[in-house]
Amino acid sequence: MRKFSLSKEMYAQMLDGLNNLYFSDKLGFSDDLKFIANDYWLGDTAVIEQLQLRKGLWEVNLIFAYPSAPTRFLKRRITAHASPQRAAQMAFYMRRLAAKDQRGTISVNIDDFHLSLN
Amino acid sequence: MPQIGTKQRILDASVLLFNREGLANVRLQQIADETGISVGNLAYHFKNKEAIVTAVYESLFEELKQILSTYLSQPSLSDFDDQLRRYYSFFRKYRFYLIDLFEIERSFPDIIAQWHEFVAKMILQIRRRIDYSIQRGVFVPEPTKGLYDTLSDNIWMTITFWIPQQVLKGLPLDENSFKSALWIQFQPYFTDKGLAEYHDTIAPIEIDRGK
Repeated sequence: MRKFSLSKEMYAQMLDGLNNLYFSDKLGFSDDLKFIANDYWLGDTAVIEQLQLRKGLWEVNLIFAYPSAPTRFLKRRITAHASPQRAAQMAFYMRRLAAKDQRGTISVNIDDFHLSLN
Repeated sequence: MPQIGTKQRILDASVLLFNREGLANVRLQQIADETGISVGNLAYHFKNKEAIVTAVYESLFEELKQILSTYLSQPSLSDFDDQLRRYYSFFRKYRFYLIDLFEIERSFPDIIAQWHEFVAKMILQIRRRIDYSIQRGVFVPEPTKGLYDTLSDNIWMTITFWIPQQVLKGLPLDENSFKSALWIQFQPYFTDKGLAEYHDTIAPIEIDRGK
């Protein structure tokens, strides 16, 4: 196997790049990483699988619902299968993979939200 | 003892003997004796001396790579000081390499080719460090065209051949004298800011270690 080697010119350019890094790089703000903290709630959600027939295929969707705030939920399409049994099986395993508690003890009860249907 | 341990012990013993006796004068029997194993066992791990020399050089180049990778981990003069410390321990550990340079050139052309690559990188790093220091305002802009290229070559020569010249003069080896020999070459090119940084961060450490 041929050993990887960098030409002298390329190496010089790389060092120039490193030199410039200290002049062009600016310090970031803590706000820049807020998007990570903003998604923390997803770790504590109840995961609900949903099958939906669309264009002849059974779509597997996962809904991530936050038990203490009814407006916080996220729906994501995972995959689609022609067979409903296979889609159901896939949904079951996908839910188990995604959920924090695999046995499903975190659940969402519609009555907790005191929704008024008037 | 696991195999990897024995292999490493053989390599360590080889480096020790190469440094003491010279590359050409070391026999497999001596390496086996120094490691504390039989020649048969040694032959199981390395089929001949050439294989040992190649393995020693592999680890030598690996260490050199590590040193080169520390380039500009800190944006200050002490970054170079730290790299110099690593160069010193490296060249001290493998000093046989320079003493036996011409013997190696004859018998191991591949190793010499690799060494040429590393030399070019070392010199380039020194040159680019000077460029960086000019940008940062700790070095004066190049007074005459080509001066900093020559300075980089001279610095490289000092890094590489400082230990053999001390041995030749019969003088002791110590890290502080090595570093002083290098920093003194940079001093005429420091700006006031550079000189202040040198006296704040490099000089006190050298004096402390010298005590």
